[in-house]
Amino acid sequence: MIQGKGRWASVMLPALFLVAFLVLPLLLMGVMSVRPRLQGGIFNTDWTPTLDHYQTVFESGSFLPLLGTSARIALLVGCLATLLAYPLAYFLVFRAGRRASVLLVLLILPFWTSYLLRVIAWKIILGSNGAINSFLLYSGMIEEPSPLLLYNRSAVVVTLVYVWLPFVALPIYAALLRVDRSWLEAAGSLGATRRQTFLKVTLPLSLPGVVAGFLMVFIPTVGEYVAPILVGGTRGSMYGNIIETFFGDGINWPLGSALAFIMLGCVLVVVVIAVKTLRVDRMLEES
Amino acid sequence: MSKHALAFVAFALMLAACAGAASTSTTAETVTGGDLSVLEWAFYEVPEMWVEFGEEYPDSNVEFSFGASDEDIYAKILAGSGEDIIHLYTPYLQFYVDEGLIQPIDTSKLTNWDKVAEGFKESCTIDGEVYCVPWDWGFSSILYRTDMVPEGVDSWDALFDPAYAGHVSMWDSGNAAVTVSSYIMGIDEREITEEQMAEIEQMWIDQKDVNLFYWTDEAELEAAFTNGDVWVAYAWNGAYYRLLSAGVPVAYADPAEGRNSWVGQYAISADAESYDLALAFLDGKLGEQTATNLLVDYAYGHVVPDYYGVVEDTNLVEALSLDDPGILERTNFTVPITQEQLEAFVAMWAEVKAAG
Repeated sequence: MIQGKGRWASVMLPALFLVAFLVLPLLLMGVMSVRPRLQGGIFNTDWTPTLDHYQTVFESGSFLPLLGTSARIALLVGCLATLLAYPLAYFLVFRAGRRASVLLVLLILPFWTSYLLRVIAWKIILGSNGAINSFLLYSGMIEEPSPLLLYNRSAVVVTLVYVWLPFVALPIYAALLRVDRSWLEAAGSLGATRRQTFLKVTLPLSLPGVVAGFLMVFIPTVGEYVAPILVGGTRGSMYGNIIETFFGDGINWPLGSALAFIMLGCVLVVVVIAVKTLRVDRMLEES
Repeated sequence: MSKHALAFVAFALMLAACAGAASTSTTAETVTGGDLSVLEWAFYEVPEMWVEFGEEYPDSNVEFSFGASDEDIYAKILAGSGEDIIHLYTPYLQFYVDEGLIQPIDTSKLTNWDKVAEGFKESCTIDGEVYCVPWDWGFSSILYRTDMVPEGVDSWDALFDPAYAGHVSMWDSGNAAVTVSSYIMGIDEREITEEQMAEIEQMWIDQKDVNLFYWTDEAELEAAFTNGDVWVAYAWNGAYYRLLSAGVPVAYADPAEGRNSWVGQYAISADAESYDLALAFLDGKLGEQTATNLLVDYAYGHVVPDYYGVVEDTNLVEALSLDDPGILERTNFTVPITQEQLEAFVAMWAEVKAAG
């Protein structure tokens, strides 16, 4: 244990950091969202709070449906990434043996390159003169490059699943690592098939990792805006792009803040419901 | 996502704080000229872009800070970053005037003012008062692939033409979208009624059927032109010049409704420390050597037509239509709009982007 001042410092530093760069900005954004306009300078205090911006969002015909669409995309991306990551993590823990550590490094290798580069790489793969089209042309399966691969929502989903895959695999990997091998042996000696052992023992024990991994993807994907800009095309916009439009082009920070807070609220509700219904707390205790 | 937005606000505040700290810590050295601070765009800080001032006031210390977009620059000034000189672009002048952030320009103290072409002077004039010194300019028009669009483009309508479905790219800008619509509809974008705005919104929602993607930076657009994904796009003359120089078969339309022209402008902050020194800096911007460097090195137009003779690069002459004296008369200069108007334009654009 760190004693006295040292212990305080170890808590204070991260706490101060969080207050300065998370709590305060969040409060500022809350204040911004009830401010009528940005006029009079950022630090102007001469205004009366209003809920007009929230009303604007609720009255718009397309913003909230787009939030719904973004949530569905996030759900799809989260599910696909989890489905792909689970066998990966399972293999690393139970089958890879001594190669596991090398493979784990390979899994997180993409983190060493910039997020933007990884998204742009998909532009090169899916583009009309990209890798997939070139291969299909070369093999004679198509005669004209297909422009349908890039610039749509499917391209956004594919790109995001790729980007998030390691994020989901790691918590599942950690959860599987904690599974006590003797339980698996016990299940085997009690006559359970490998399938039964997996479904009744391994999977339930790894669920906290699955849920954590899924939420790590779902939450940020709802507000994603980079991938839609780069590979989403005309109809690939997500809710995050609308927030970005108001903060950037519109210099309308109040409306942008209101949009962001509505999203924050909705995601919180979804996560709380998910955690309550899936009894994540109990799963965590059991594991 | 909210985290990005948060980071943005926090970052803006930090910048504001830093800028404040920087301006207060500047010690006033006893030099003949005194110090100047300029809120600039990257690449304009090099001495080649202010040759005359540098020669006349060698002891003056010019400090540059940078903005990444018009909105960014406005937000910084609004937050009190406090530079003496601001490099803004049409149509944002009105924002600064309405917020009292800049002061009028005494043109009688500018030795080069008379050489500036009339249209550019007008771009800086609001209610009879000159609020900025125009400097760089360029076009916005329709760029197209001559091999894919052999019939050519003679109207802004081309951006909506189903014949080019899947090969059109519009700039991701609500303001530009309204400008294009106003040309097609033949209306003044400063006097748009609610019905007209609804019509413009529908126009762009329908345009989504032909649009491949909304471009956000020129490199992205140029790549799509080069590989043949995009045939017809809203573009600036810079993209035209670079594609032309790279040998891509492109042409730049001279639409019946007229091209659009944007102008870069320098304004003096309302609380600039040395007004006369700031004026001298702006006067130098209109000097021949600086203008030549802008034209030849950066391929942008300069507001003094007398200097165009130095340009020998035929692609550049073509890209800026420097050999076509009538082009500026046929051009629609970007008109100043208010913050309220921009908000309405961007709200319309957000609805377009959010529509399925």
